[in-house]
Amino acid sequence: MNAVHGRYLQIDLSSGTATARQLTEAVFARLLGGVGLASYLLYRFCPPGADPLEPENPLIFASSPFIGTGITTASKIAVVAKSPQTGMIGDSLSSSYLALALKRTGYDALVVTGQAPSWTVLAVDDGEIRLLPAGELLGLDPAATAHAIRAELGSGFRVAAIGVAGECGVRYASISNDGRLAGRTGSGAVMGSKRLKAIAVRGTQRLPVVADPRGVVRAARELAERSLGPGTAKYRELGTAANLAFFSRLGVLPTRNFQAGTFEAAEAISGERLFLEHRTDKHGCAACTIGCEHHYRTRDASEAVEVRLEYESLFALGSLCGISDPNAVLRAAALCDRYGMDAISTGSTIAWAMECVERGVRLPGSPDEWPRFGDAGSLVRAVQTIGERRGLGDLLAEGSRRAAEIVGQGSVEWAMHVKGLELPGYDPRKLKAMALGFAVSTRGACHNRSSAYEVDFSDQLDPHAEALAWASAAASSEDRAAVLDSLTVCKFLRHCFSDFFAEAAELFALVTGLPMTAVGLRLAGERINTVKKLFNLDQGWTRADDTLPPRLLSGEAGGLTAAELDRLIQAYYCVRGWDEQGRVPPGRLRELELAELLSQDGRMMYGYAG
Amino acid sequence: MSTGTTAVRVELFGSPQLLTGRRQVEVPGRTLREVAGALAHEFPALAGSVIDPATGWLTGGYIFVVDGRFTRDPSYPVGPGSTVLLVSAQAGGVS
Ligand code: SF4
Repeated sequence: MNAVHGRYLQIDLSSGTATARQLTEAVFARLLGGVGLASYLLYRFCPPGADPLEPENPLIFASSPFIGTGITTASKIAVVAKSPQTGMIGDSLSSSYLALALKRTGYDALVVTGQAPSWTVLAVDDGEIRLLPAGELLGLDPAATAHAIRAELGSGFRVAAIGVAGECGVRYASISNDGRLAGRTGSGAVMGSKRLKAIAVRGTQRLPVVADPRGVVRAARELAERSLGPGTAKYRELGTAANLAFFSRLGVLPTRNFQAGTFEAAEAISGERLFLEHRTDKHGCAACTIGCEHHYRTRDASEAVEVRLEYESLFALGSLCGISDPNAVLRAAALCDRYGMDAISTGSTIAWAMECVERGVRLPGSPDEWPRFGDAGSLVRAVQTIGERRGLGDLLAEGSRRAAEIVGQGSVEWAMHVKGLELPGYDPRKLKAMALGFAVSTRGACHNRSSAYEVDFSDQLDPHAEALAWASAAASSEDRAAVLDSLTVCKFLRHCFSDFFAEAAELFALVTGLPMTAVGLRLAGERINTVKKLFNLDQGWTRADDTLPPRLLSGEAGGLTAAELDRLIQAYYCVRGWDEQGRVPPGRLRELELAELLSQDGRMMYGYAG
Repeated sequence: MSTGTTAVRVELFGSPQLLTGRRQVEVPGRTLREVAGALAHEFPALAGSVIDPATGWLTGGYIFVVDGRFTRDPSYPVGPGSTVLLVSAQAGGVS
């Protein structure tokens, strides 16, 4: 096949050695690349029961056949490990030049195992590795770390780094590169546990050729033209921050830790207001024609900060914490970037603590330091203490699930997570497809791996449709998301296809030379989601993990009930061909052509053995 | 506004709000097609990126929400009591 190298580099930090290993064509034909490839490697390398913060947890970076082909937005790198938040698969994506650098090393993926004896920078230079001391970089934020490394090694290196949060083990620490983040599920904490401050990658090899160069150029040009049309207008014009006021109007804006779906001060922190009063500039990732990254500057008496802001950071550090001061939200978001941690989990864990304070639950530390709903200063201070794991921040760095288990006093009732991953900015009580998507998602509460909100925000289904119809729609959007994440094409491009699976299948064939149909690509999406599920099964997933926080299942004001969610989940298992306990029967694995691919190490349990 | 036609209140979000400088407008119309046509007529800034002048209907980037229902059905009936929102058809993030 074309457009891949057919090999990955396994790097053992404990011994300082690197080994090149082969990847068969079948892996790409069945799982495409990106998140699909990285999930496969995680399945093979991470033993059942591995502690996510111990050396046995591999940290995987994977590219895809589309990277370097000129297809717009295809500059994403998949970052996968067992998540220290969920104990299940943690997969995230980050954009830009790092992905291209990795592909130019002559490898399709890096699998980093073990633990360095002391803080280290891993330099990957066309497949040669060097472990360099990182002591002087400790305490630096990711951007400063990258700057220092490139100054020393050369600007040809692209750098992925952790900030202080990753160094001190904040469970939702992220990995940053080129100003972008592999944000969710705590890959930065995994990297920190390996004493790896940064990975610097330089690739000077020729990119593998595509199967039909002319066809790819033509298709890429057409897609680039469509990427400037109405399907991406919102992202280009206002960015995702535009969601906030509209979501509040619909009653689905998580407010004060999901105690309400409407924020009375939504106008003050709306995307429209931010655009008029705070926006400075717009940027894009490498190889992107859309450019959705809007930057904003604080405008108050304190020292100005400028920050990239998306809806998820805006809601989590704004309405979720009852904050109506846009300057405080921007400052808190900038701190999350500087410490290198996921803004959703940061905001949500602080909102949990705010509700503890509101309800009179005692927290560690001095009451003067406790965060309170609507108190902008206390929000910013809380972000700082988490980033440095000091005082109350040491508890909050564990995430809402663990913090609530430690504090007790009934506070697990308002820890708003699924499988340990805090909910993003969609109140699922009024969004049936999204509720199901959150509950069954393999990485915990996640809108991106599911994308089922699109069903709710459209006229696809009658609100009174049967559970099976909702389940089919949710599974379909989940499969499309898996394909996008594995071709490493940006989700913001999805509305530029009139028939996504058919057109993306044609692109895949032009790039790789492997035959692919719309049905085959949809099946690949299902297969990728199944591999993730198999990993979770191996790590101890049970039926009880597919649920929502109790607050969201009260049925109040016409919202979802536990019985309704259960019906939706059962329908979803049925659509997937799983048994009533959500396990994957061996026959389904054979139908998906996964049995042989995954059985090479003789480790196939999927909840049926043992 | 022509007599005999019902006035519909439309709340604008995102670019439509910035283009018109209004968060809420009132236009005549008994169906969403008529509402879209009236919007384009009264607010020429919406013609092009939000409402296609050739068809008088929404471009692919926008959708109406009528009483909580998302719809791009031009014949969808509306009246003075309807809650109509004009919003971007895209939602969601990437990472
Ligand atoms: S649309 Fe935005 S997130 Fe997607 S590749 Fe372009 S700049 Fe990056």
